[in-house]
Amino acid sequence: MFFASAEFQTVFAALNAGFVRTLQLFFITLAGAIPLGLVVSFGSMSRFPPLRWLTRLVIWAVRGTPLVLQIIALYYVPPLIKLFSWGSGESGRFTAVAVAFVLNYACYFSEIYRGGIQGVPSGQQEAGLVLGMTRRQIFFQVTLLQMIKRIVPPMSNEVITLVKDTSLARVIALQEIIWMGESFMTGNQGYAGRVWPLFFTAVYYLVFSGVATILLNRLEKKLEFFH
Amino acid sequence: MALLEVHHIEKHFGSTQVLKDISFNLEQGQALAIIGSSGSGKTTLLRCLNFLETPDKGTIKVAGEILFDAKVSATRSEAAIRKKRLHFGLVFQSFNLFPQYTALENVTLAGELLAKEREDYKADKKRIVAGIEAQGRELLAQMGLSDREGHYPHQLSGGQQQRVAIARALALHPDILCFDEPTSALDPELTGEVLRVIRSLADQQTTMVIVTHEMAFARDVADQVIFMDGGVIVEQGPAHMVIGDPQEARTKQFLSRYSEH
Amino acid sequence: MKKKLLALLLALTMGLTLAACSNGDNTADKGTDASAAPSTAAEESTAPDASKPAEGDSDLAYVKEKGTLVVGITNFEPMDYQDASGEWIGFDADMAKAFAASLGVNVEFSEINWDYKVFELDGKTIDCVWNGMTLNDEVMAAMSTSVPYCVNAQVLVVPTDKAAEFTDLATLEGLSVAVEAGSAGEDAAEALGASTTPVQKQSDTLLEVSAGASDAAVIDLLMAGAMIGEGTSYDNLTFTLNLNTVQGLDSENYGVGFRTGSDLVEAFNDFWAASVTDGTALSTAEAYGVQESVILD
Repeated sequence: MFFASAEFQTVFAALNAGFVRTLQLFFITLAGAIPLGLVVSFGSMSRFPPLRWLTRLVIWAVRGTPLVLQIIALYYVPPLIKLFSWGSGESGRFTAVAVAFVLNYACYFSEIYRGGIQGVPSGQQEAGLVLGMTRRQIFFQVTLLQMIKRIVPPMSNEVITLVKDTSLARVIALQEIIWMGESFMTGNQGYAGRVWPLFFTAVYYLVFSGVATILLNRLEKKLEFFH
Repeated sequence: MALLEVHHIEKHFGSTQVLKDISFNLEQGQALAIIGSSGSGKTTLLRCLNFLETPDKGTIKVAGEILFDAKVSATRSEAAIRKKRLHFGLVFQSFNLFPQYTALENVTLAGELLAKEREDYKADKKRIVAGIEAQGRELLAQMGLSDREGHYPHQLSGGQQQRVAIARALALHPDILCFDEPTSALDPELTGEVLRVIRSLADQQTTMVIVTHEMAFARDVADQVIFMDGGVIVEQGPAHMVIGDPQEARTKQFLSRYSEH
Repeated sequence: MKKKLLALLLALTMGLTLAACSNGDNTADKGTDASAAPSTAAEESTAPDASKPAEGDSDLAYVKEKGTLVVGITNFEPMDYQDASGEWIGFDADMAKAFAASLGVNVEFSEINWDYKVFELDGKTIDCVWNGMTLNDEVMAAMSTSVPYCVNAQVLVVPTDKAAEFTDLATLEGLSVAVEAGSAGEDAAEALGASTTPVQKQSDTLLEVSAGASDAAVIDLLMAGAMIGEGTSYDNLTFTLNLNTVQGLDSENYGVGFRTGSDLVEAFNDFWAASVTDGTALSTAEAYGVQESVILD
C-alpha cells in the first residue's frame, strides 16, 4: 500500500511543513492587507489632492507590475543598495515575502473597498448626519456593514487567488509547498527523481480553497438578511 | 416671536446661484408648504435648513438662537453644526432607511448613540435604552406599524418605509420637522397613508416645513405656503391665499398646470 | 505620511531594480563593505565605522565576527540534500561543515533561487555558493571562485528504449533537446547543433523527456547519476553520451563562489589543500560515491 510506504510518509511530512509555510503567508497577508487596504482606500479618496494622487500612483504601480517582480525587488534590492538586510535564512525570506504580499494585496483590497464605499448611496450618509451622528458613527454603524456586503463577493475572488499566489514566494526560495514538492525531483531526504510530490500539492490547494469557498459563501448568506 | 427665522439666505453651486435672498418666518405649531417646479431651489432650501448644504450668506435662527450665520465661521464648523441639526428633522424623498436595521432599530439607533454622550449613561444604561425603545415602539404604533417593528426595510412597502422614516425623524424630538417631497417616490395608491400621517401631525400642532407637489394636500394641511421659482420666493402667505387666490403671474401660471388635471 | 514613505520606497525599489538589472556584471565594487551586515551583527560588533575601510573590509573577519557561515545551496543530490531527519548532507554539505569548523564558526545552509545567486552573495544574505557550481565564464566574472575541486561533464539523457539510437552520435542536429536555461548543458547542446528547449531547472528537463516533449535532455553527470534510473520516477531514462568527450573539450570543473574580492577564497583554498593532504576530501567523496570526480592533485 503506497500511502503506508516510507516514501509517502517522508514526502507527506515535507509537504505538510511546506503547507504550514503557505498557510502562514496566507493568514499574515490577510491580517495585514485587510486593515492596510482600508487605510489605502481612504488615501485614494482623500479630499487632499496630493495625498490622493500619491496613493493612486502607488496603487497603479503595485497593480501594474507582477507580484513576482515585487517580491524579487523587495528582497534583493534593499541589501544590494546597502539600505537594510532582511536577515539571513528562512525568517528573512519570509519577512520580505510577507511585506510584499501585504503591500500588494492591500492595494488590490483598497480598490475593492473604494468601490464598496462609493457604492453605498449618499442618502445613507445624509440620513445619519440629520440624525446628529458623527462621521465616525455613520461609518461604523451605518455604512460599514453595507460596504462589507458589497465587497464580500469580489473579496472572495481575491482570497482564492491569494491561496494560489502564495506559490510565487518560492522565487526567492521560500520553502512553501510547491518548493517542497519540487525538492523531490532533485533529491530530498533520500528520495530523488520523484515527480508525484509536485503534483500531489494540488490536493492541498484544492482542499484549502474548497474550505475557503464554503466559508465565504456562508458569510455571503449571512449578509442576505438585508438588501 | 417666530420659532424659525430665516434671513437673506443665498447659495451658489459653482457659478450658478440657486438661492437668492430667501427670508421667511414660521410660528410654533404651524405647517409651511414650499411649492414650485423642479429646479426652483426648494429642495436646496430644505437642505440648507438641515445643514446638508452650507449657505453662502444669511442667518438661521430657531427660538431666537442663532444656529447659523454665514459671517461667523464658528457656526460653520462640523462639530458646531452636528448638535444644531437636532433642532430639525428631515424625511427624505427616497426614505434612506438603514437597510441592515429593523424598523424599530431604525427609529432608536440615533437616540441610543446620542444617549452615550449623557453623563449618567454608564450608571443608568439599562433604563435609558429601555426608555428609548419604548418610545420607538410608541412612535411606530402612532404610524400604524406596531406589527412591523421587527421587519427589515426591504420587507416593507414604500408607504410603510416612509412612515418608519417619519417615526425615525420624530424620535429625536426636533423643533421643526422637514419633509422633502415625501410622496414623490411612492406609487399613487401608497401616497394616501403617508399624507394621512402628516395630516395627523399637523393636527397635533407639529411645526413642519413640507416641500411638496401635492397642491390639494398643501392647501388643506399647511398654514403658510411659499411659492419659489428660479431661486427666489415669488409669493408667500396663508395657504388659502397663495393657492386659492395667487397674486403673482408666475404663481398663477404654475398653479394652472395642477388645476387642469 | 506613512503612505508617502511607502510610495517613495516602492518607487525607489522599482527604479533600482531596473538599474541593478542593466549592469548586472558590474559588481566589482560590492561585496566587502560591512555596512550591509545584518543589524544584529552590527550591534554585536565593536562599533566598526561602516564608511571607513578598516578590518571590516575583510570578508573573513566579517564571517568570523557574526559567527556563522551562510552557505547558499539548492537541493542537488549527491552534493547538497537533506537526510530523513532534515539535516543537510552530501559531499558539498559535509565539506562546508568542515570548512566552517576550520574557521571556528557555525554553518547555516540557505536554499536559494539559483538564478539570483549573485544577488544573494552581494546582498550578503549568503556568504558563499557551494552547490556543484560549474566554473563557467559568467560565474567567474560575477564572483571570486575557489580552486576547482570536482570534475563534471554534460551528459545526454534519453529514454532507455531508444538508447541504442544515441550511442554513437557525433552531432545532435535535428533533435529537440531540453536544457536548463543558461547552463553549461545549453552551451554544449547548441554547439552540437541541437534545437534546444530551455527550462528553469535541470530537473525540469527530465520531465520534458519523460513526457515526450523533447527527444533528449542535457544535464550534469553528477545529477544524472542521482536522479534517473531504478527507484526514481525516471526509471525509463538513461544517459548515454558524454558531450564533453564528443566535442573534444576539457571536462568542466566545480568550484565554490565567494563575493568578488573576498579573502574567504584563500581560506577555502588552504582548507581544501589540507583536506586533500589529510585524506578527508577523499573519504567524504567516497561516502557519496563521487570519488571518481573529486580533484585530489
